[in-house]
Amino acid sequence: MTQALIELSDLGFNWPGHPQLLDIPVFRLEPGETLFLKGPSGSGKTTLLGLLGGVQKPTRGSIRLLGQELTELSAGARDRFRVDHTGYIFQQFNLLPFLSVRENVELPCHFSKLRAQRATQRHGSIDQAAATLLAHLGLKDEGLLERRADSLSIGQQQRVAAARALIGQPELVIADEPTSALDHDAREAFLQLLFAECREAGASLLFVSHDQSLASLFDRNLSLAELNRAATPLEV
Amino acid sequence: MYLFRLAMASLANRRFTAILTAFAIALSVCLLLAVERVRTEARASFASTISGTDLIVGARSGSVNLLLYSVFRIGNATNNIRWDSFEHFAASPQVKWAIPMSLGDSHRGYRVMGTTDAYFEHYQYGRRQNLQLASGRAFATDPFEVVLGAEVADALHYKLGDKLVLAHGVAVVSLVKHDDKPFTVVGILQRTGTPVDRTLHISLGGMEAIHIDWHNGVPAQGKGRISADQARNMDLTPQAITAFMLGLNNKISTFALQRQINEFRGEPMLAILPGVALQELWSMMGTAEKALFVISLFVVLTGLIGMLTAILTSLNERRREMAILRSVGARPWHIASLLIFEAFALALAGVVAGVGLLYVCIAASRGYLQANYGLDLPLALPSPYEWTLLAGILIAALLMGSVPAWRAYRQSLADGLSIRL
Repeated sequence: MTQALIELSDLGFNWPGHPQLLDIPVFRLEPGETLFLKGPSGSGKTTLLGLLGGVQKPTRGSIRLLGQELTELSAGARDRFRVDHTGYIFQQFNLLPFLSVRENVELPCHFSKLRAQRATQRHGSIDQAAATLLAHLGLKDEGLLERRADSLSIGQQQRVAAARALIGQPELVIADEPTSALDHDAREAFLQLLFAECREAGASLLFVSHDQSLASLFDRNLSLAELNRAATPLEV
Repeated sequence: MYLFRLAMASLANRRFTAILTAFAIALSVCLLLAVERVRTEARASFASTISGTDLIVGARSGSVNLLLYSVFRIGNATNNIRWDSFEHFAASPQVKWAIPMSLGDSHRGYRVMGTTDAYFEHYQYGRRQNLQLASGRAFATDPFEVVLGAEVADALHYKLGDKLVLAHGVAVVSLVKHDDKPFTVVGILQRTGTPVDRTLHISLGGMEAIHIDWHNGVPAQGKGRISADQARNMDLTPQAITAFMLGLNNKISTFALQRQINEFRGEPMLAILPGVALQELWSMMGTAEKALFVISLFVVLTGLIGMLTAILTSLNERRREMAILRSVGARPWHIASLLIFEAFALALAGVVAGVGLLYVCIAASRGYLQANYGLDLPLALPSPYEWTLLAGILIAALLMGSVPAWRAYRQSLADGLSIRL
């Protein structure tokens, strides 16, 4: 069996003084796989993403990312590991409004040597990598690169966020409801672009959403409520 | 430095608050430096009011009182001393020179001092500088000649040859004037930055002449009056003077002569060493000066607390910014340093603007301060002490910046990557 990109086993988590929030016996994400994870609010979705990002530590069990056991790393090392190997796209307001589009895309390269290196290797320079990614995501206009991020439409902003998640080829892209602010047509178009770019970069995509209508576009889909034994029937 | 650039961009995004905050710091820095400069300059000009004089002698009173009326033209003598007492000590072998002074009259609020040529020859101020005439000459044999201090001439627009009338007493509004005996301006002194600038100098003879027909503090009436021409032909040697200054041949004899004067049997007199009396006086004013300094330090503290408030207030609305930075790989200490940089940048901008503002203020008010208060504020680069103050402000800003930095650190650990709407 090939090494999984993400491998959770016997994962348990609860906030101090609160009942068990997550209890996941097993979960795998394969390299290059796109996974739709259905997670209604209250299902422990945010916490799971926090654990995968290494922001929190599980109370028990193991989280392996690229074979690295996250629970064995220090907080600082988990932070470094996260930025080296994971790109994030959030619901909306993903960008720092006071930076230009280009600067927003390049942000991870300032905090991760590895991603700066990969971006430079693949595209010649970080600036070139940003421009190429944006062009692939349909933001070709030259003048747009230097515009303030908050002067863009929501749809454009989400594509900029996708470019930022993908720059420097992280092995994993985590998208947390990235399409909820887009209208229906734009959602599918955005997803197709995202798939294409993930495929090109060889990245796995973990897509968390409550919008079941998109599920069929993914390699695999799962419900967090089924995955998580601690989920109460009420929330399912 | 990427983090610094990020901090700057974020600040620029909130530029209105940022500019206001920096401006508050600038004002407080300007105030602190201005107080510091005025303080230093006041102390220097105070200490340089008189130099080269070994002893000041007057009727027995307090040493500060004697210093105030003889040098600073503030307050009045309690009593006069006799002319022959002056002659007695002026002739003493240890004495190199002696300047008699007769005070008590004024001209439009400026004090009049009766003295002799010796004053122009021996009186020194600052770094042993003698008085210099800007124009004209010292008063000569005619008793009704006056030499003006620079400020008197400037403020009252007198030039050589002008006639002026002295008033009896030192009140600004004088009821009794010596208008029967006008004086002619024969000389104007160069500016010294000392009370000399605010003094009219006449000869002892002139002082005697305007009071020659006075009895018990009122002028004679009718036949008893003596005209200026009559006075010119009379013996104008004074009976009494207010004080005198002594320069000695040998500094070592200062204390001996001081004791001789203080124990003089002819009349009760007091001899003081100007340096010692200046010290005494300054230590009295020092409290006020220190209070002023402490107040301006608190103003700076207020400015910095304003900055702290502004940054802390912005923290909540910037949680999203922090979370985005966390998601692209910023570690909690990156977030904390962003806030430290921000505080430092605000304080630095404030300090730079404050220094700039100070120079503008000094340039604008220099002439006025020099003319009215004898303060010469230098447009010089900050002194080592001022640099220390400025560095202290920046360090204080860094320390204050660590408060929001610590909060943001905690916040970003708790929030993680989740962005709360």
